[in-house]
Amino acid sequence: MGTDMEMDMDGDVEERRVQVRFITKLKPPYRVPNTSIAIPANLTRLGLSTIVNSLLKAGEDEWESQPFDFLIDGELVRLPLEQFLLAKGISAEKVLEIEYIRAVALQKEDEPSLHDDWVSAVDGSCPRFILTGCYDNLGRVWRAAGECTHVLEGHSGAITSVSVVNSEGTDSVTVATASKDETLRLWKFDNEEHSDQPSKIRAFKILRGHNASVQSVAVEASGSMICSGSWDCTINLWRTNVSDTEGDLVSIKKRKVKNKAEESQLEGEALSTLVGHTQCVSSVCWPEPKTIYSASWDHSVRRWDVEMGKDLSSIFCGKPLSCLHVGGEGSALIAAGGSDPILRIWDPRKPGTSAPIYQFSSHNSWISACKWHSKSLFHLLSASYDGKLMLWDLRTAWPLAIADSHEDKVLCADWWKGDSVISGGVDSKLCISSGISVL
Amino acid sequence: MGASKKESVEVNKKEEEENKNRKKTQPTKKEKLSTEESLLHKKQEDRAKNYKGFSEDDASEDFKSVEKSEAGDSESSGDEGFHNTSSNEGLANESQSEDSEPDQGGEESDSSEDEVAPRNTVGDVPLEWYRDEKHIGYDITGKKLKKKERQDKLDSFLANVDNSKNWRKIYDEYNDEDVEVTNEETKLIRRMLKGKAPHGDFDLYAVLGLVRAIRKGLIKFDKPKEEPRFYMLWGDDASSSEKTGHLSYIPAPKPNLPGHEESYNPSLEYIPTQEEINSYQLMDEEDRPKFIPKRFMSLRSIPAYENAVKDSFERCLDLYLCPRVHKKRINIDPESLKPKLPSRKDLKPYPATCYLEYKGHKDAVMSISTETSGHWIASGSSDGTVRLWEVETCRCIKVWEFGEVVQYVAWNPLPELPVLAVSVGQDVFLLNTGLGNEETQRKVKELLHVATSTALDDSGNKVSAWSWLQDDKHEGIRLQHFKTVYSVEWHLFHPTRSIFFVSTKKNVRVYDLLKQKLIKKLETGLREVSSISVHPAGDNVIVGSRDGKLCWFDMDLSSKPYKVLKCHPKDITNVAFHRSYPLFASCSDDCTAYVFHGMVYSDLNQNPLIVPLEILRGHAISNGRGVLDCKFHPRQPWLFTAGADSLIKLYCH
Repeated sequence: MGTDMEMDMDGDVEERRVQVRFITKLKPPYRVPNTSIAIPANLTRLGLSTIVNSLLKAGEDEWESQPFDFLIDGELVRLPLEQFLLAKGISAEKVLEIEYIRAVALQKEDEPSLHDDWVSAVDGSCPRFILTGCYDNLGRVWRAAGECTHVLEGHSGAITSVSVVNSEGTDSVTVATASKDETLRLWKFDNEEHSDQPSKIRAFKILRGHNASVQSVAVEASGSMICSGSWDCTINLWRTNVSDTEGDLVSIKKRKVKNKAEESQLEGEALSTLVGHTQCVSSVCWPEPKTIYSASWDHSVRRWDVEMGKDLSSIFCGKPLSCLHVGGEGSALIAAGGSDPILRIWDPRKPGTSAPIYQFSSHNSWISACKWHSKSLFHLLSASYDGKLMLWDLRTAWPLAIADSHEDKVLCADWWKGDSVISGGVDSKLCISSGISVL
Repeated sequence: MGASKKESVEVNKKEEEENKNRKKTQPTKKEKLSTEESLLHKKQEDRAKNYKGFSEDDASEDFKSVEKSEAGDSESSGDEGFHNTSSNEGLANESQSEDSEPDQGGEESDSSEDEVAPRNTVGDVPLEWYRDEKHIGYDITGKKLKKKERQDKLDSFLANVDNSKNWRKIYDEYNDEDVEVTNEETKLIRRMLKGKAPHGDFDLYAVLGLVRAIRKGLIKFDKPKEEPRFYMLWGDDASSSEKTGHLSYIPAPKPNLPGHEESYNPSLEYIPTQEEINSYQLMDEEDRPKFIPKRFMSLRSIPAYENAVKDSFERCLDLYLCPRVHKKRINIDPESLKPKLPSRKDLKPYPATCYLEYKGHKDAVMSISTETSGHWIASGSSDGTVRLWEVETCRCIKVWEFGEVVQYVAWNPLPELPVLAVSVGQDVFLLNTGLGNEETQRKVKELLHVATSTALDDSGNKVSAWSWLQDDKHEGIRLQHFKTVYSVEWHLFHPTRSIFFVSTKKNVRVYDLLKQKLIKKLETGLREVSSISVHPAGDNVIVGSRDGKLCWFDMDLSSKPYKVLKCHPKDITNVAFHRSYPLFASCSDDCTAYVFHGMVYSDLNQNPLIVPLEILRGHAISNGRGVLDCKFHPRQPWLFTAGADSLIKLYCH
């Protein structure tokens, strides 16, 4: 097989060749024979992909060509092979091992789901539905593109952030929303019921305590606590009273219902307040039970110890930050974006440095959202005011894919079901792009 | 050594090497014989110096050496010295000998002395002084040199008889030792005693020939001077001032030299056509060519030059009526005149890039104001609306319609009371922005509620200059003035003291509110003041003017501007200080906003540092107006600009 290839290529003018061996971690249908072959050194990613596809086709006649991405020494090949080796100082003398993975691309784009106003928040952490927040003060639950099942009514200001608190039970789902009306609300609904008209839900609990617009909400992994960041420079911790005091809640609810049928909402107060930021806390993230990360307009990212209520460390970035997410390798890398077009990634485990380990600067305007893929170590997405959504791989400085589906600023974005990207923006659309083969 | 060279040289040869060798051999009046003698004498002397025991008279030897040094002096000082010494024939001989062969002799004696350094260090003192001592002198380390036991006469005689070579031995009294004279040395001595040159290879006649040639002038030592073949016949004009000796003389400018066209028979291309000559008549007197070329077939046919008198008259006028002045040009590196300013990079952060635009107004945005936390901004436009925007997302939250040009908007600096003051035509409205929770809303409503009865009284009596009115339509208060209101500030007051700034057309008056007195008058020197901003520390004021100038006043320094920055080609519409960063900005009708670094030091000895940082462009001109207002974000180093093109832009760092 390999000799055939060489024969084909020999027709060309004299050119440099490199000995390569293609390896992969993919499952058998994607495997190619483990022999080394000589290929022209000036091949690009497309050429490499063609070779792998033809190798696969030789093994299986029914094979349908599909794009691949190639890794050499843990870095994605984005230059012609020769230039890449030269740039990285890799010797072309010995047999080069090239790992191939399925290329990440946005393959399918669903019809956008229209809202009445700007879509400001989106959460896709539960594969069964998408939760969105909107500037018309309503939260919405979507089962699929264009299929709205529930409307969350009650806020008197635009919703700024939404988060799924608990989606363990099949019948009951708890979600939290933060709003510019200075409150957070907890909602509960039955995800299984289906009707043509979206059913209206009222919050079962209102969390008051912030003195200014609440910008962000994050849920602890078990779902018993949530934290929120606000324009009043504080982070408040709240108990959701879902898992542990379910019984009490129900009884209170019933009693209240007897008194006033309409006022069936509980009011909650903040469990504790984390003070330290000097400006608006624009984003919070709660990846581990004891640690909260927060990003603020005071240019800092802080790590808080939940039990002590103190900030353990802070990273200064120089720009006001508006979004933050923690994930990636060891669920420890901090990705943050803000008032400039650069998506920065820090590794807080590296001692004595506050310089970002990666900086991605393909956007043209403020970055409004960034999210790590929940399973992949390398992939994250970012949304920007330039109307673009970008998929990033840590192994290359170029974006893997750019989604241009929004006409105006993109305000929020998230992964959904592991292979889709959902985003909402100023054009009042919720866009779902699927078919992303990250793993 | 030198002699061998001289031998080989022909008398009339003018080789440079020889010239060098004899450079110092000046032609003298001495007889050639005396020269010869002196040469011999010199050699003798050198030898004698080395073998002192040989010379009969120590004292005379010393004398000679002294003379020698004198002769050396005279040689260096030239002919005069020579003549002085020439009074004594013998001495003159010696000096002559020095002249003729100065280098060779000196070197020889020096080197021989170096070979055998004298043990004794007493120097040239009469040795009788040590005759009765046990030592003859001191060695180089300062120790006494003991006298050897002298052989008595008998012993010496016996030794003389026994040893046939004892006659060669000479006693060196100076170093107190016996020296044996070698065969070669005895030969030298013998030759000298016979009156010959010490060395056998020394040709006296060759030297004499050279001396003769020099006297006749056949050998020359100076290179002939090259005379320039060409020279300025009339002298150099530039150096003529030196010639005249007058310091103030400045040469007259030269008249232009004639060109080809002034020839009596120029080439055809110089001759203008008749049409061209006609067109000259239409030209202005100044532009008309002075001379029109003409052809003449022969010199004979050339007429008299009609302008001869006029030309020479004008030339004379030029020469004596035009003041001629020396202009002193100073060579200064223009770079060195620039003030040393820190680099822009070190002064970050400052607004530089526009990322966000606030779109919605239909006409020029007249004024913007930021809320204290930096979450909201308000803008007033000439389309008659006031809009409330969310900074982060550029979303327009609220619109108030007034139907009249909104001149000015201002937020209440207190964050608890989100109230907006708006000046529209003759009225000032206080608006409830509707921000905040129920509690703040309740307070705001309380504040903005006016008892209608009192308001009516005021407006009815017209006692005060303005009146309060409840304005239900806009949920606020209406203050009616009799004149158009241009500017509303909650407090354009001193940030820390009760001082109030009022700007007139040319000056800024500073009032003390407590004493109700004018405490200072800042003289701007500007044509028309358009805007003013006070530094958050309070002692510095910037003033923008309609002629594009920006004045920085340091109130502690003087009432005159500390710096005047002429940067905008058109009217400055507004100036602003940042509340926390050392930044200030000016915006102008030329569609730009300038951002400056303006550092005020707490040290009173240090003047404020002003560094221009960035020119922010992006607004389009509309109806001849550019940027109408600029305000800094209260907490970030960002600048909002309001343009006549109905846009508000946010420049971020």
